Amino acid sequence: MPDNYGFFIAAYVIAGVLIGGYVASLWWRSRR
Amino acid sequence: MARPPSMLAAAWIIARKDLAVELRTRSAFLSVLVFTLLALATFFFAWDATSVASIDLAPGVLWVTFTFAGMLGLHRSFGSEAQDRAIDGLLIAPVEREAIYLGKAIANLVFVGAVLVVALPALAILYNLPLAQTVVGLAPVALLAAIGLVSVGTLFSSMAVNTRLAELLLPMLSLPFFVPIVMASSQISARLLAGRPMSEAMPWLKILIAFDLVFVVACTIAFPYTLEE
Amino acid sequence: MTVPAPARAFRAPLFDWFFLLAVAAVGGTLVRILAFTPFEASQGAAQKIYYIHVPAALSAYLALGILAVASVMFLWLRDPRADRLAVSAAEVGLLFTTLVITTGPLWAKPIWGTWWSWDMRLNLTMFLWFLTAAYLVLRGAIDDEAMRARFSAVLGVLAALLIPFIHLSVYLFRTMHPEPIVLQPGRPRLPAEMLTTWSMGVLAFAFLCIALIRARYRLPDGRDA
Repeated sequence: MPDNYGFFIAAYVIAGVLIGGYVASLWWRSRR
Repeated sequence: MARPPSMLAAAWIIARKDLAVELRTRSAFLSVLVFTLLALATFFFAWDATSVASIDLAPGVLWVTFTFAGMLGLHRSFGSEAQDRAIDGLLIAPVEREAIYLGKAIANLVFVGAVLVVALPALAILYNLPLAQTVVGLAPVALLAAIGLVSVGTLFSSMAVNTRLAELLLPMLSLPFFVPIVMASSQISARLLAGRPMSEAMPWLKILIAFDLVFVVACTIAFPYTLEE
Repeated sequence: MTVPAPARAFRAPLFDWFFLLAVAAVGGTLVRILAFTPFEASQGAAQKIYYIHVPAALSAYLALGILAVASVMFLWLRDPRADRLAVSAAEVGLLFTTLVITTGPLWAKPIWGTWWSWDMRLNLTMFLWFLTAAYLVLRGAIDDEAMRARFSAVLGVLAALLIPFIHLSVYLFRTMHPEPIVLQPGRPRLPAEMLTTWSMGVLAFAFLCIALIRARYRLPDGRDA
């Protein structure tokens, strides 16, 4: 089995940051 | 009391007005023409001439240059109307709004066509292509590409001048729409120049024709929404 | 208990039960992906990117479909709510297309050996991204609300008309994307365990997509459109 954990982790981290960032922006805009 | 002109007659009057302004000043035409020749020449130096044959470069160079040059010219179409709110004169004229769009589009088509009339022979000369075959063979493709470019570009020009970003927005709006045009015209041109049978280019030709039909109609209908109500 | 209503109009909470449900669905799927789904033998850990990549792509199509429909509805009915739905769908659509084109290359590099293969589905997603970004930049560049709504609806409709042409063009150009494994009628070739995980991913992301659009739709009006 090829060792490519780095790509796997990177993809999930990026996905988390993007979705989390958008939710944070919604929250930020709602309380101004 | 004279009757208001029919839609096509009104469109023609508006196109003649724009072309007359352009003929008097000639500033936009000359600058776009020089830009086109400059881009054709500059692209040649961007590749290693000993490893890439110029006939392979020519189609892509031509159509990419063409879309960028077209955008330069298109911005002027409504940019000139924004000065002193000249557009208001058109809006209170007793013509349908679609006629304003068609008139603007016809003027732009003549403008872009005039650039191509110089650009095609220039491409043939600079890139050492068979002159007659290039100019005659590519002329119909150029016409179809120009119709597609102008139909979308005229509409977006009208939208872009009303935004804070003005001419900065035009490429962002219109380039995605020019992608099928660039792809189809480049692929057709490459096959024409390589002397391949026309049947190979047919799918691309169909895309180009369908694009023109769809967007001339859609943009004519959509145009009134981009004007003040 | 009869407190008079505050001066500010009633505002529906941004993150309500629906949103929490979506978050729970995504969290549950994540746990299953990480702990209860086996590694694929030939592709290794990178294969698990697939469980978010494809659901994100389907959710992006969902959001952009809503954007197109809302744009048509606005031009037809001139209802500001349609415009609001359109911009909500556009923001979420941009989020999911960004997810697709960032997770995709991370899978393609170890498996195909190249980040970006200029394959037709990649190109289509890339142009969806460009169009959605242009849509939001256009909105940001117009101050007048009525004009902003009209212009962006026109762009939304034209973009929907453009997609078939881009799709055809990039298809004719060339394709090497793996054919959809699951969406073939008759014979899903994915092992049952992975198929379940994948289906959960699709559902959870669709849920999240709708929840985000809904939350954005409920944002108070302002210059942030």
